[in-house]
Amino acid sequence: MQLVLLVLSAILVNNFVLSRFLGICPFLGVSKKLSTALGMTAAVMFVMTLASTVCWLVFHGLLRPYGLEYLQTISFILIIAAMVQLVELALQKLSPGLYRSLGIYLPLITTNCAVLGCAVMNIMNESSLLVTAVFSLAAAMGFGLALVLFSGIREVLALADTPRSFRGTAIALLTAGTLSLSFMGFAGLVK
Amino acid sequence: MKFSGGVHPAYHKDTAGLQIEAMPLLHRYVVPIAQHLGAPGKVLVAKGDRVARWQPLSEPVGFVSVPVHAPTSGTVKQVAALPHPLGRPMLAVEIESDGEDRPWEGLAPPADWRRLESAELRRAIQAAGVVGMGGATFPTHVKLSPPAEKKVDLLILNGAECEPYLTADHRVMLEQAAEVMEGLGLMMRVLGVTRACVGIESNKPDALEALRRACPPDVAAEFTLLETKYPQGSEKHLIYALCGRRVPPGGLPMDVGCVVQNVGTAVACLEAVRDGLPMTERVATVTGAAINVPHNLRVRVGAPLLDVLAHCGGVTPDVGKVIFGGPMMGIGQFDMDVPLIKGTSGVLCLRDDEAARFEGGPCIRCGACVDACPMGLVPSAMGLIAERFRFEELGDWHVLDCIECGSCAYVCPSRRPLVQHFKRGKAEWREILDGRRAKAEREAERQSAAAKA
Amino acid sequence: MLVPTVVLSGIGLLSGLGLALAARAFAVETDPRQDRITEALPGANCGGCGFAGCGDFAGAVVRGDATPDGCPVCDQETRRLVASIVGLTVQDRAPQVALILCQGGDDVAAKKYRYNGLASCASAALLGGGDKACGAGCLGLGDCQRACAFGAVEMMPSGVARIIPARCTACGQCVAACPKDLIKLVPAEATIHVLCSNHDRGPAAKKACAVACLGCKKCEKSFAEDPRIKVADFLAYIDYEHVPDDPALAALCPTGSLVYRGAAAPAAERTSS
Repeated sequence: MQLVLLVLSAILVNNFVLSRFLGICPFLGVSKKLSTALGMTAAVMFVMTLASTVCWLVFHGLLRPYGLEYLQTISFILIIAAMVQLVELALQKLSPGLYRSLGIYLPLITTNCAVLGCAVMNIMNESSLLVTAVFSLAAAMGFGLALVLFSGIREVLALADTPRSFRGTAIALLTAGTLSLSFMGFAGLVK
Repeated sequence: MKFSGGVHPAYHKDTAGLQIEAMPLLHRYVVPIAQHLGAPGKVLVAKGDRVARWQPLSEPVGFVSVPVHAPTSGTVKQVAALPHPLGRPMLAVEIESDGEDRPWEGLAPPADWRRLESAELRRAIQAAGVVGMGGATFPTHVKLSPPAEKKVDLLILNGAECEPYLTADHRVMLEQAAEVMEGLGLMMRVLGVTRACVGIESNKPDALEALRRACPPDVAAEFTLLETKYPQGSEKHLIYALCGRRVPPGGLPMDVGCVVQNVGTAVACLEAVRDGLPMTERVATVTGAAINVPHNLRVRVGAPLLDVLAHCGGVTPDVGKVIFGGPMMGIGQFDMDVPLIKGTSGVLCLRDDEAARFEGGPCIRCGACVDACPMGLVPSAMGLIAERFRFEELGDWHVLDCIECGSCAYVCPSRRPLVQHFKRGKAEWREILDGRRAKAEREAERQSAAAKA
Repeated sequence: MLVPTVVLSGIGLLSGLGLALAARAFAVETDPRQDRITEALPGANCGGCGFAGCGDFAGAVVRGDATPDGCPVCDQETRRLVASIVGLTVQDRAPQVALILCQGGDDVAAKKYRYNGLASCASAALLGGGDKACGAGCLGLGDCQRACAFGAVEMMPSGVARIIPARCTACGQCVAACPKDLIKLVPAEATIHVLCSNHDRGPAAKKACAVACLGCKKCEKSFAEDPRIKVADFLAYIDYEHVPDDPALAALCPTGSLVYRGAAAPAAERTSS
């Protein structure tokens, strides 16, 4: 039950993108098309879950026993960077089309605050390994939900007669704000 | 059965009560060589030649091709690119009439279609230059030659005439009912089918009655009065309304065992075989608020528009638009020198205040076009995509299934030029598909070459 | 101090090892020559070569599907470089420039109907070939301008497109985009042009447009023998290989469809050609 609530809250109530405002860069960058948004979601889900889990293991198995908590950030980034490289290599081989359309945003997951934030948050909350894994996956799903919803809106938005001054990023940010507002409505769903 | 979508435009069938009147002989005719879909024929005459009525002016090139014939006797004044109703100047033969209307000696002898084999009938129909007279002008003998793997069991006679204003088919059904039914029997014999359906819109019950009475005992036809709704006369919708079969996307009526023929085509086929006469005339409705004396005219193919209008009392000073065909799918004319051709079912003269010349507004996403589209497409989205030149996305919206009936543009409260977008979009999407196919072929060639090496 | 160093470098080493293994497992074979060619190309991704961008063209050159001089944009130097990467040689090619063979703006050319559809030449051309009374007139809706990746096409106020030669790379995208086939690639150093594509007889052409070539042959007859400008099917053609640099030729033309754009022409005309 606890885990279900955890998942729900990570996806809806404390959505990484729309409530915590983490990972805005890919949210705006790769949300022009539904297909790329789905690809990005898969990549982030993979990286986030695995990185958080490995980070938890490294922190509790290596850093804390030796009193090296101050190395948390740098070692986490190292791990995340390695994960992203792995995804990049795999994508280049398995789906060149998606690799090309994600472009610069794929290596940018390395410095994605959502991934690092998720790993750090798990440590801060003193979560167990299981909770860490589930929470990371749910957080990534929340990220994916926001990305997919937003890309759907933007696909329609691209066909609209937007006033000249609002075209492009401006209307995208406005829409993101509105979407975020609507997600605020989930507050109080999980106590 | 009723198809979904469609619209109910104002019908204006004011000329339905006017008897067909034969147009007097003109002093000049312009006969375009290309009056059908398919390869234009090879011209047989040259400047200065004397021709007789019904003499072929061109011979077919290939199977999907038909000849055109001289509408009267006279002298060939020129063979040149002349104004054509489809917009661009095309090769045409201009004939100066000698007033004798002397028939050609080489005409095929009259024959009894009940004694001829279907191959002979098909040859006669092609030689007579018969094309679909509903407006699409597809060579009739091709439609009557389904490939062996497509089993055709039903011939549909299209008397729907769903376009507003037009009454030519209606008058033909009333005045030449016997010939229509006999022509139907002839086409059934060509196809070797035993079953035929006649579909007529409910605003012409008298036509249905006339055909039923004129039906010979050896022609097994069923008569159905259809809902009056545009585009009831579209092949795919007529088939669905009459027998519930759905033509697959990108398919032809013969994919579901049907062949659809217009009532005027039935008469032309009969005349081609029974009298040996090539198709040199047709019935066309000349109507609209801007014509002084509306007519249902039996007009010879190649008659210049100006002479036809003059015969109908000329146009009023406030004429704004002259359209060949009906208001929904007809083609606006911008040169009064064009001739009437085999596919011209009507000449519609609209007043300046009637002719819709709207600046299209933005799409307000009301969805009226989605409800109106008889093909179940989403014109609003397709229009927006085409407007932004994103043609490669149109395939996802099945743009090639659009029949360009104009129902969407008719209901659009923003007056968006949707059909025009789709015509462009279809052309661009076909080009994209061709490009992809060529690329795939190159790729396959390369791979097979690599495999050999 | 030792422990943190070991821990951190240990993590780094492990990740590195994992990545090295992954790199082997997911290795993608690319021809190194393709990358070198891509680097050498202009990188405008204009598509003038007929492929989807410079990278695609480089791949085609390596595979042998395209010749090294297929890129119309890059200079002779680059073509030689590209050819040398795949071990071929290229022939020198005279620099070219696009030219719009129509100057019939709304001020001089008649229209046959009012067009109010999609603002694109290809759409207008579907309606009876466009609204110009001349069957070979510029429709002025800017398909060539949209196709140009280099901003070398400008739309004149009169509704006719013009090429800015200084920006034109002769990639040919505008040539393909024009539904009326009014754009041709001509030698850049050519100074005299027939800016008309109308094949109608004189009276018909004149009725449609004041600056149409009437096929009067005044230019052709000005040559004593072996004319460098020939009239065929009521339209003058220039033999660009040997046309003389002579402003007097243009003065012969009664309609101004024969235009001189060389050094002796007024500066304003040269820049806006």
